[in-house]
Amino acid sequence: MNAEPTPEKIRQVILRTLPRAEGDNPAIFGAGASLDSLGLVNFLADLEYRLAEAFGCEVVLASDRAMSRRRSPFRDANALTEYIMELLTT
Amino acid sequence: MKTRRIIIVTGSSRGIGHDVAAHFLARGDIVHGCSRGPVTSANRRYRHHALDVGDEAAVVAMIREVVARDGRIDALINNAGIASMNHALLTPAKVAQDIFSTNFQGTFLFCREVAKAMLRRKTGRIVNFTSIAHPLRLEGESLYAASKAAVESFTQILARELGPTGITVNAVGPSPVPTDMVRNVPRRKMDALLSRQAIPRFGTSADVVNVVEFFLSPASEFVTGQVIYLGGVSG
Repeated sequence: MNAEPTPEKIRQVILRTLPRAEGDNPAIFGAGASLDSLGLVNFLADLEYRLAEAFGCEVVLASDRAMSRRRSPFRDANALTEYIMELLTT
Repeated sequence: MKTRRIIIVTGSSRGIGHDVAAHFLARGDIVHGCSRGPVTSANRRYRHHALDVGDEAAVVAMIREVVARDGRIDALINNAGIASMNHALLTPAKVAQDIFSTNFQGTFLFCREVAKAMLRRKTGRIVNFTSIAHPLRLEGESLYAASKAAVESFTQILARELGPTGITVNAVGPSPVPTDMVRNVPRRKMDALLSRQAIPRFGTSADVVNVVEFFLSPASEFVTGQVIYLGGVSG
């Protein structure tokens, strides 16, 4: 049986999936982040599978909603957590 | 001993897709096929998924199911395709939309989702399907040929994007194979088309399988972004 997704549980999955996660809210992509574009692709692909394993949910992270935002939901762990919660609840 | 591969074949219910899937099954591979309708197969290594290849949610669910069940995907054969032979000026917008949804969007969605699964193991083979209708600029097949041109361009750019990841992306362009897709083309037109090939005969599924297996070979790890047409047609 899959766990119920909560912001904290999702944040933990993100932190476990990031190749280098330093601090509570590590930068993921953009200024000051360690991932280049190929690294981001790898990370998001891996994260989708880990989210499916942990919560039994099928999300596509690179959605229209993500790509059309002025501020990228992939900029740091907190922004990504919030975005994933939004995908799962709307 | 041959390795048992996990292979996805889209459009596996009939035509070339059916024959390619049958080849893999005869070889001992596990095949996940798909088409719009259900298919029953006596082969226990064949699993069928009924879906529309242009439906994003359905494709995502299928690929997750394959990985959950078999743990990996070794190869994707993106064969599903539809054609509508008609003069461009007599082609309804809905037909154009359907052709691009199946031929291009279906190819794109399967590539995207399967490549995500392959990225986890840093290896994989993707073979997309184009057609000689594109390089021969066939009159009456403008929408079909345009959708295949899009597949070729996508194949070559995706090959570069995935170049460092161990995943190769190539395309095969069959010459006419006597399947349902070409059955309604008048004989006179078909003869004229075959005469434009260097080797003027119908292709066979075995001709297609030969190219697909070349791309899937472990020795082909340095071959990516390539389009091979059958029958001696050049791009």
